[in-house]
Amino acid sequence: MAITRRDPVKRLNVGLLLIAFVLSLFAGRLVQLQGIQSAAYAHKALKQRLDILTLPAVRGAITDAQGFPFAMTVEAREVFADPAIIVPAQRPQIAQMLAPMLSMDQAKLLQLLAKPGQFSVLAHNVTPDRARMVMALGYTGISTIPEYRRVYPNDTLAANVIGFVNHSGAGGAGLESSLNKLLAGRSGKQTVEIGTNGQRIPMGEDQTIHPVPGRDVRLTLLRDLQYKAQTAITTQVAKTGAASGSVIVMDPRTGQILAMASAPTFDPNSPGNSQQAWQNRAVQETFEPGSTNKVITAAAVMEHGGVTPSTPFTVPYSIRKYDQPLHDAEFHKTYKLTFGGVLALSSNVGTMIASDRITGQQLYQTMRDFGYGQHSGAGLPGESAGLLAPPGQWSGTQRYTIAYGQGVSVTALQEASVYATIANKGVRVAPTIVAGTTDGHGNFVPAPEPKQRQVISAQTAEQITTMLEGVVSPEGTAPQAQIPPYRVAGKTGTAQKVNPSCHCYTGNDYTASFAGFAPADDPQLVVLVVLQNPVNGHYGGVVAAPVFRDVMSFALAARKIPPTGSTSPKIVIYAK
Amino acid sequence: MINSYGVRPSLIGRVLARGSVVRRLDWVIIACVVALGVISSLLIFSATRAQLIEQHQDPAAFLKKNLLNLAIGLVLGGLVTALDYRLLRAHAPILYALSCLGLIAVLSPLGATVNGAHAWILLGAGFQVEPSEFAKVALVVLLAMIVGEPRDGESRTGNSGPGLPDILLSLGLGGLPMALIMLEPDLGVTLTFGAIILGVLAVSGVRRLWLFGLTISAVLAAAAVVLLGVLKPYQIARFSAFLNPAADPRGAGYNAQQALIAIGSGGFFGTGLFHGEQTTGHFVPEQQTDFIFTVAGEELGFIGSAVIVLLLGILIWRGLRIATQAADLFGTLVATGVVVWLAFQTFENVGMTVGIMPITGLPLPLVSYGGSATFANMLGLGLLQAVHIRSRPG
Repeated sequence: MAITRRDPVKRLNVGLLLIAFVLSLFAGRLVQLQGIQSAAYAHKALKQRLDILTLPAVRGAITDAQGFPFAMTVEAREVFADPAIIVPAQRPQIAQMLAPMLSMDQAKLLQLLAKPGQFSVLAHNVTPDRARMVMALGYTGISTIPEYRRVYPNDTLAANVIGFVNHSGAGGAGLESSLNKLLAGRSGKQTVEIGTNGQRIPMGEDQTIHPVPGRDVRLTLLRDLQYKAQTAITTQVAKTGAASGSVIVMDPRTGQILAMASAPTFDPNSPGNSQQAWQNRAVQETFEPGSTNKVITAAAVMEHGGVTPSTPFTVPYSIRKYDQPLHDAEFHKTYKLTFGGVLALSSNVGTMIASDRITGQQLYQTMRDFGYGQHSGAGLPGESAGLLAPPGQWSGTQRYTIAYGQGVSVTALQEASVYATIANKGVRVAPTIVAGTTDGHGNFVPAPEPKQRQVISAQTAEQITTMLEGVVSPEGTAPQAQIPPYRVAGKTGTAQKVNPSCHCYTGNDYTASFAGFAPADDPQLVVLVVLQNPVNGHYGGVVAAPVFRDVMSFALAARKIPPTGSTSPKIVIYAK
Repeated sequence: MINSYGVRPSLIGRVLARGSVVRRLDWVIIACVVALGVISSLLIFSATRAQLIEQHQDPAAFLKKNLLNLAIGLVLGGLVTALDYRLLRAHAPILYALSCLGLIAVLSPLGATVNGAHAWILLGAGFQVEPSEFAKVALVVLLAMIVGEPRDGESRTGNSGPGLPDILLSLGLGGLPMALIMLEPDLGVTLTFGAIILGVLAVSGVRRLWLFGLTISAVLAAAAVVLLGVLKPYQIARFSAFLNPAADPRGAGYNAQQALIAIGSGGFFGTGLFHGEQTTGHFVPEQQTDFIFTVAGEELGFIGSAVIVLLLGILIWRGLRIATQAADLFGTLVATGVVVWLAFQTFENVGMTVGIMPITGLPLPLVSYGGSATFANMLGLGLLQAVHIRSRPG
């Protein structure tokens, strides 16, 4: 053979050495990976197989004073699919079977089943029964996990107070929002290991942080009274063509709000997106109170100006103040009224003349004492403080218009609190709506005692009460508010509203209100009714007083409050 | 046949007689192949079982197909062993031409794409063939033919080895399938072809200067390929992921990172067959094919991984031994080609799974799942046996 073999063999031997070198390099690397660094890699491996699940906390319930739920949390199921392991050919069949069970569109389901990835939520808030039906079908790749669902069993009842929970489970409006921290509790955590077939195996108990359930919140509201108030205001708003309305029922002795209803309202089970309807108008909407404010002027002139119910006043139809003519609502000849008569007939001119006996500062301070220009203390979310300018900022006639409730704005709750203070013999008890909360062990923790303060003397309060009974008398402005055989004290309010387009009083927009309490000689209930922009009638005595009577009669009966049996003192309206 | 005692020996006796074909087979290689086949089947079963169960399919589906592949492969290897390899020399151009046609067919609409490489031809009924695997066999035989003996009119003296025309012809004919495979694109197989060409030329006795020149130009060519943007973005990403695997642990570096975690967490003895959490949780992609070594690493630990490397090492060593003992230079070069092919794939595959080589899609010979690769490996081993039984005695 011409070619010697020496060369190839030599090179093959070099190759053998090279290969031996590389293979021992591998052996060394394996020793490094599986010997020296093994523990670190094992730790990395475990770490990526671990997953942390959030254990949701049960949200606390919101109940009425007797424990009936306004808002509650029930267990539900989330139904989800792992599209990666569902055989594509089986998708239409699964969609067809699940559509009626989940109340979903078949095409939509089909789309969700074909979603790329390993996790596709098909439906939330499925009842456990329905979820069991779904799982009984036994489709591979369809699973459920527990979740919680917020339910409002009474639909619209107290919706404007309670609010609702948004998609992420946090409060979106109302008490659900302002008390969210209390209600929500604290979610827990659980470490799970992802098993060989993707199942999640919980790790030891020491790796679990249990969720802390939210606290139940008990309100001072009474379900049946709330229902009555809400029905009455909704009906009246519709009947009078008003833009909105509110009703508040309070216990004047405790400051507890027993009912608080607004119209329009909404169903928190499907809140939609009407911010207008979500509003709790009783605390968020401000208005000029009009004549209902005269009780504060009366209190001020009696406390500081030496006026009594029988003090005579000569009242013309119109007077000039700061070159502005100011007059009563309807024309009358100049007459001589007692101060009680001024209030019973709701004379603006009479009130202005009486208010000349005190300073602007005294009037202002009395309104502050009654709670104007500050939050009521009930702690309701979004509450307005109203608008009460200090005397230094008043324009010329404002000193007089404020006396009859124009040029100052308040919320319905502030106004209700004024009447509760008079009913409670001059002691203002800050309004409350949360009675207390229940902790994790079922112990009820009452809310802190509301602040109390003597605002006017008991004597003045009683004299005003007597005058307010005159308002409801046949000679007064609101005989519609009578509830025989009970003694009722109250006051109408018919305020002109500033038209938002011209920023002036057009004489077409009104706030009609009625505030009162009963029994007048032993007040146990205060009811305030306010309607904004009623079209069919606009006098407080005509549109608001009937709602007052309706709600008050129901409340008296429901609370089993008997008539006192006494008779109202005769009110002298005309002075001699 | 009658022996010296005048007794006609039994069939078994004849088969096992001194100097018989069966006696002349390299039984070490066969033992290694059987051992690797058993390990391979268990690892493939372990890697695919969980996922198949989840998909409500036969958990042993891949195991069964692998056993079938091995059986067919053994038959193919046996046929090649029985064949006088020298006959192949005459048919090398035909094999080569068929391979190139196959590679062209892959690029035509007949081809199918799997994992980014357009390297398969679907045969229907779930069967597919990867022509580049068979092209390795054809390349080995063709190169051995070209540089294995002087052609007519060419004279070689001393240890000069093949001359410039042979070298250029080898490079040209080897370069064509490489270019075709690069179009698929399959970087790993292209590199394997390059290694085979270099290896066969080296052993054929080309001058040292040529050897250095070729090695340097191969490195330069690789650099040029990267710089000129011939590589696909995912291939470049794999290289950069190799340089810094932690940079993009969810992307290109994911395979590399997961492979290390699986192997590392196996420790010395492993988690036990079928008990690898990383394996059954399918954290490592392509685990029954290119990343089969990670299953061994996790479930069989250092012991199992080392055994696999050792078995492949023995196989390579036996192959080199056959190359040195071949009856002729053609046989030496055929054996060399097969050895370089198996060795390069072992280096690259084990290297990438243990993080010392960048990731390219290459199966681990005789261990990874894959029909075409198994058949081609068996054909290659058959060539080794064929050279062995016809080698010089002693």
